[in-house]
Formats: sequence, C-alpha cells, structure tokens
Amino acid sequence: MAVSDFSVPASAILERFKANGVTHATTVPDLVQLSLHAELAEDDDVQLIECAAENQALTTAFGLHVGGKTPVVVMQNQGLMNCLNTLRSVGISAQTPMVISVGQFGREFANLGEDTASSGRVVVNTIEPVLEAMGIPFERLETAEDLDRVDACFAKAREAQCPVVLLVGHYTAWA
Amino acid sequence: MTMTCNEACAVIAGQESGALVVTTMSAMFGYQKASQSPTVMSSVPLMGGASGIGLGLALARPEKQVLVLDGDSSLLMELGSLATVAGQKPENFKHFVFKNNAQFAGIANAEVPGGAGVDFAAAALASGYAGAHKVETLEQLKEQLPAILVETGPVLVELSIGAPQKFGRSAPQPEIPDMQFQRMGAEARRVMQALAEA
Repeated sequence: MAVSDFSVPASAILERFKANGVTHATTVPDLVQLSLHAELAEDDDVQLIECAAENQALTTAFGLHVGGKTPVVVMQNQGLMNCLNTLRSVGISAQTPMVISVGQFGREFANLGEDTASSGRVVVNTIEPVLEAMGIPFERLETAEDLDRVDACFAKAREAQCPVVLLVGHYTAWA
Repeated sequence: MTMTCNEACAVIAGQESGALVVTTMSAMFGYQKASQSPTVMSSVPLMGGASGIGLGLALARPEKQVLVLDGDSSLLMELGSLATVAGQKPENFKHFVFKNNAQFAGIANAEVPGGAGVDFAAAALASGYAGAHKVETLEQLKEQLPAILVETGPVLVELSIGAPQKFGRSAPQPEIPDMQFQRMGAEARRVMQALAEA
C-alpha cells in the first residue's frame, strides 16, 4: 500500500465530526492533522479555538460541554503526554464524554500499516499502553476505511461518559 | 491592608446575579461558604484549570456572565491561558486572581514561583485582555466591583489576599476526602441541570 493511502481526507473527518454534532474544536495545532486544522479554520459550522497548551484545550472543552456544546479536542501524541493529569481530572474523574483526536507525530513511514508497538519512536509506541493504563478507550484511524471509527469514538464517549481517543496514524490528506 | 479570601468571596457572591462561577483552590472553599448558587463549579483537584473551564463556559453561554475565581499559583501553571482567553475575546469573562503568594489552597507552606512580585494585571493586558485592575483592600473591592462586573471582558482583577495558614507539627496535612475527587463532576452536572431548567 502506498504511503498516501494512509492519509485520510481531512474533509471526511470533519464531516464525521459534524455528523456527531460537534460545535467546537479546541486545539493545539498538530503537524499530523494540519489539513484537518485548515478545514476547521475555514468551516462556518464548527468554531475553532486555538489554545496555548493541551491542558487548556481539555479544560476549555470541558467548559463547553458543561455549557451545552459538543466539542472535539485535536492535539498530537506529545500533547497528550503533556496533559495526562488534566485528562484524568476533567475526563475520567468528572466522567465527561469527550473525543480527543490525537496525531501520531513522529511515526516512521515504514511503520504505517504495522502495529505502533513496533515503532522505534517512544512517543509513538507508548501512546496506546498509556491510554490502556489510564483506562481510556481508543480507536485507530489508519485509512479511509476506518472512518466509521470516528463515529465509534463519539458513541463510546456518550455511552460510557468518558474520554475516548481517536489515534490518527498518519498525516491527514489535504482533501 | 489586604483582604481575606473569605471576605473577597463574600463580596463577589453578594454582588453577582445568576453568573456561571468557576472556582479553584482557596477560593473554592471561600465561595462555597458565601454562595448556594447551583451554577458554581470547581476546578478540583486541578490547579491551572479554572481559566480554561471558564473560557469554555463563556463561549458556550455568551448570554451569561462568567466569573473565574483563580489562584495565583494556579494561574502560573497555565499562564498561557491568558493568551488563549484573549484570543477568543469573551466579553462575558471576568477573571479574579486571588493573589496570596501561596502555593496551595488555604493552608500553605511554599511561596509561588516569582514571589509576590508577579504582576498578573500587567500580564493580562500584555496578553490582550480588554481590561485589568489591582484591588488592594476589601473596601476597594466593594466600591469597584459593580463597575467591573459590567465592563466588557475579558477583564482580570488581581486581588491582594492575606497569607494563609501553614502546615506544621501542630497542624499536620489532612487526608484528602473522596469528595475532593468527585465534586468537579458532580458540580458540573449540577450546573448543566440548572442551565437546562433556566
């Protein structure tokens, strides 16, 4: 499979967000999801909120949720590592349904299509074990065939009243 | 002459009407003594989270006044939130910083990084807040608060709060109760219910 086949169109991801009622996206921009960021910035229906750090992306999303909105959070794997305590607090302890789209920054192209456990990059191969240790469900978005996993994240978050992570395996496509 | 945390909370609670309030650290305990409002929630145990939670509420509910009762050491943990808030220009956002130069809520042994010299009002203005004030005494707070509450936000108000107690042999650290880990979610659901019923 060509490398580009692992790039899921950003417009298709945004459509899935909208289909799940997303009103706001809080983010610290992520290299992996730059095209998704561009789609969100140009979109009239979803309000993009740029944050200085991932903790703020989570807390702002929490406030939006309490205020009756449906936010999605967009960050990269390094950012997820940066905000684990906030995720524990507003996500797990407060039992908040929240979908977090996390780009696998630094993943080797040779690892695409393979288990991220075999990645040679710690920032990639520790994400799933960290989420498992925290009891946070996750789904992998590896190709366009996985787009229904976006829906699965929102369904799981609502059902279990918890944060759910969408792991975006490769650069989202500029399409 | 500074004011106590409880005194400041009582004045704010006495003058606000129907606001969404986010508290943290010492202000959390002070405000729960001063107000029975169902639209108050705490960032606990989470230092640094109050400003972001308040921003989310302010954007979700632009018709409501949002008051954030932050701590100095808490805000320092997420000082970049000043820029995040300013970038969204929430006109309904009032950010009170309880500056007691102490690292922990209510009872504290450690000073904040940078000590008492950190100028939060200047930092807010430099980050793009629409306004900022320094309030030194309880009398000033009583006098200035009505005008502050109708200012166009985001506005930061730096309050000079008296030093809290310290731990020691005669006042050891207590066990942290379960409620401290449950109250944020419980209060969030209470706020959501109150908003739904309004």
